[in-house]
Amino acid sequence: MENLLEEIVATGSRIAILDISGVPAVDSLVAQHLIKTVSATRLMGAECIISGIRPEIAQTVVHLGIDLSNIITKATLASALKYAFQLLKLEVKKNANTFF
Amino acid sequence: MEKIPILKMGRFLLVTIQVDLYDRLALNLEADLIQMISKTEANGVLIDISAVSIVDSFMGRIIGNIASMSKILDAYTVVVGMQPAVAITLIELGLPLKGVLTALDVEKGMELLRSLIPASSAEEEVSDDYLI
Repeated sequence: MENLLEEIVATGSRIAILDISGVPAVDSLVAQHLIKTVSATRLMGAECIISGIRPEIAQTVVHLGIDLSNIITKATLASALKYAFQLLKLEVKKNANTFF
Repeated sequence: MEKIPILKMGRFLLVTIQVDLYDRLALNLEADLIQMISKTEANGVLIDISAVSIVDSFMGRIIGNIASMSKILDAYTVVVGMQPAVAITLIELGLPLKGVLTALDVEKGMELLRSLIPASSAEEEVSDDYLI
């Protein structure tokens, strides 16, 4: 959490994407820590998106009774990035002037 | 007696806290700020806490109070430049500061305030010309 917050200050980033696709299991402590990290990011003035939540993890989180409704969650890193671009009003498009 | 300056910038008030807050100072700031908002009819308040390195639950509550009081007087509150350690402390204290807007630095905070305040209040003077 501290590393993320320090990096947000250093780079002046508006959005942080937290990809947890490599996390095999989540318990209540980990989930609580994720919520704390997202809240702390918000306090700093940035937005935090959690991506790569696997179905098993979604299931456990709901079974543990943890409320993630006020946290932006996306299924994949790609959709999180797409959402981040939308938030920053950026778009990726083909450049007509280059020949490849 | 130390005092924290409150600067008027157009339709916004700018408060930069350059010293570590103690309880008395924070309470005075709260009172001064609310007086100032009603006097200047400001639409937004920007509080820069980048130099604040220590917070406790009392300080967190004061910031929350300022935000809810400003809301009643129709002004948005944006807290900018919060240090990572301060953010972690507030979260661990269970104070996520609901209702307080945040930004990374003064520049981004100003941008946020400008986007929040409806353009109609800025165009009031211009609108007279169209009526003629």
